[in-house]
Amino acid sequence: MTEFNLKTASQGDMAAQAEQRALISASLAVGGVPAVIQDARCLLQEQPSFLNFRFIRQLVTSLPPEDTVLKPWRVALLSSFTIEFIHDSLIAYGFTNGLRIEIYQPGFGLIRQELLNPTSALYQFMPNVTILAIEGEDWLPEIYTTFMDTNPPGQGLGDITTRFQQEIGSLVRTFRNTSTAPLLVHNMAQPRLKRAGVADLSLSDGQSRFVADLNRSLCQVAAEVIDVHLVDYAALVNYFGVRHWYDSRMRLYAKAPIASSMLGHLSQEYMRYFRALSGLNKKCLVVDLDNTLWGGIVGEDGIKGIQLGPNYPGNAFVEFQRVIMDLYRRGVLLAVASKNNPADVDAVFLSHPFMMLRKAHFSALEIHWNPKSDSLKRIATQLNLGLEHMVFADDNPAECDQVRRALPMVTVIQLPRQPEHFAEALCTEGLFDTLGLSAEDLHRGQLYQQRAQAETVRSASDNLEDYYRNLDMQLSLAPVDSASRARTAQLTQKTNQFNLTTIRYGEAELSQRMANPDWLLVTVGVRDRFGDNGIVGVMMAKVGEERLHIDTFLLSCRVIGRTVETAMLAFLFEAAQALGLKALCGRVVPSDKNMPARDLFEKHGFSKLHEDPGGTTSWEFDLAGEPVRCPAWFRMAV
Amino acid sequence: MPKNVDQSIRELMSIILNIDAARIDDGTSMDNTPGWDSANHINLILALEDEFSISFEVSEFELMVSYCDLVQVVEAKL
Repeated sequence: MTEFNLKTASQGDMAAQAEQRALISASLAVGGVPAVIQDARCLLQEQPSFLNFRFIRQLVTSLPPEDTVLKPWRVALLSSFTIEFIHDSLIAYGFTNGLRIEIYQPGFGLIRQELLNPTSALYQFMPNVTILAIEGEDWLPEIYTTFMDTNPPGQGLGDITTRFQQEIGSLVRTFRNTSTAPLLVHNMAQPRLKRAGVADLSLSDGQSRFVADLNRSLCQVAAEVIDVHLVDYAALVNYFGVRHWYDSRMRLYAKAPIASSMLGHLSQEYMRYFRALSGLNKKCLVVDLDNTLWGGIVGEDGIKGIQLGPNYPGNAFVEFQRVIMDLYRRGVLLAVASKNNPADVDAVFLSHPFMMLRKAHFSALEIHWNPKSDSLKRIATQLNLGLEHMVFADDNPAECDQVRRALPMVTVIQLPRQPEHFAEALCTEGLFDTLGLSAEDLHRGQLYQQRAQAETVRSASDNLEDYYRNLDMQLSLAPVDSASRARTAQLTQKTNQFNLTTIRYGEAELSQRMANPDWLLVTVGVRDRFGDNGIVGVMMAKVGEERLHIDTFLLSCRVIGRTVETAMLAFLFEAAQALGLKALCGRVVPSDKNMPARDLFEKHGFSKLHEDPGGTTSWEFDLAGEPVRCPAWFRMAV
Repeated sequence: MPKNVDQSIRELMSIILNIDAARIDDGTSMDNTPGWDSANHINLILALEDEFSISFEVSEFELMVSYCDLVQVVEAKL
């Protein structure tokens, strides 16, 4: 995607765009929202224009309310300036990311009232996320606009930073006490105009210094309150440049300081957070090899002929490999889908001196002459991931097109012509971004290697019981605490397959439950012969009058098929009996993805009480009967 | 070329104002078109700037309140 909206206006271009929009409208009439999402994504990548954003927004508004492809996502936008012109691109990018965005936005003078009044429209809206977008000059004109009014400049401002921190802290805490929604807060951009010119940095209390202090204090507030995240607005403005980012004319005419052509970039920045918060962030990167990880075609040029090394263009490919390696280190799974002879590829992985990525970094390798869409499907099955969590990057437009058509739910990145732009093409949308890096994230690559080893054991075992025993599994069942709360929330947001009710929780809500004695909140850790998988399961159950009600019961796909779920049920049994309750009950809410979990209660001898028209079933087990026992092949950690 | 500008502006207006392009004619103005409010007035300006790669000054904004106005000011800048 081009950085700046450089466009040569020609009637030909306009006609072509109009035609593309008409095709999308027609395609929607035929049905198939996922394909339309893919088309809309291409349209916006090619031409992120005002008209295209408005067009897609209207398309989204016209979708029937019963549509289930998109995930509803309520966004509250509190801004110190006119921000309504962002709605089009926000809803449009929401659509291309699988979200149906609904926006609540009060007038710009009303931020404090909305936050401080517990019955305000903001809280009644029940947002999935709230954004606080405040321009520095609106919040603290003393630092931005009237800076030269004190003599010497800046010195009379005293404890302005402390007061700012207190005020923001108080607003944020009040919000948190009233709502469990995640909160995104813009940090402050540097002033557009340095009032003291180049002398600013020489002042002991210059504008630059103040802004740095303000942003430090914002970091502190975000660290102290649960589920508050900073949007690095300063970095965003810096990236596009003040000259492009702001429109003085509209700032003065409509109090809308951000240039119209930049609002799409701000929307895309928000998408990084929305994806992470809604569990739609991508988890696996599948790459081609020839002209992607190295220049040239190894089957034709030979290992000595491919371009990968200290000189251009080889060094561009080295840079690209480093960026991919960084993703691996963040917990993104890597895979290869390449049309090649495996022997040619092996030679490069084993012996090329400038290959940064090695076979061991890839959790799956599909190297053959079959279609790439086949490879992607096999990789998804092997890694137990949904196709919607995968990104495919290839330099070849025909391959990209084939995958887009065959698998519309995969995000396809067609790499640009020049390798020096590859890294940006891959990273610019932040498709893999998460809100933090957990220990699990940092070890995920190695964990998948362990899992592959465990699979080898399974195929070598004579029967399932031997397999379970050979895994030498140790379970840790512990109450959710402040150290494991983030991981617990993450699991409820990301686990789709072995998840009975697929209810998503944020940290703030979990925190409330942790303080409530009626709730039993348990993390499940699994260690096996090959290593520690960390926390891979969650159980949440509420104590009722005579029953223990299971609200959440989930297990990471990494440890499915090992009877861990039986051990988890056994634990709940014992807990219910210890509390003197009569029965253990739970529901199964069917989703597109939770087939593996649906027969859990049935398999363990629960009685089905009820099935509602939507397919949700409720189950009960009378504790006077034969209990579920923990299988003998587990050891319990104390 | 001018013929295409008309058509492009009509299509642009139909998207921004959510009305049928065929119903836009020489008489269409802010006074008689529901949805052509002050917010969409600015949206039309921004859309035209983006689509035609031109730029309007604030003093020109109030001159852009009808279909004919839009065609006139855009053609003048092309």
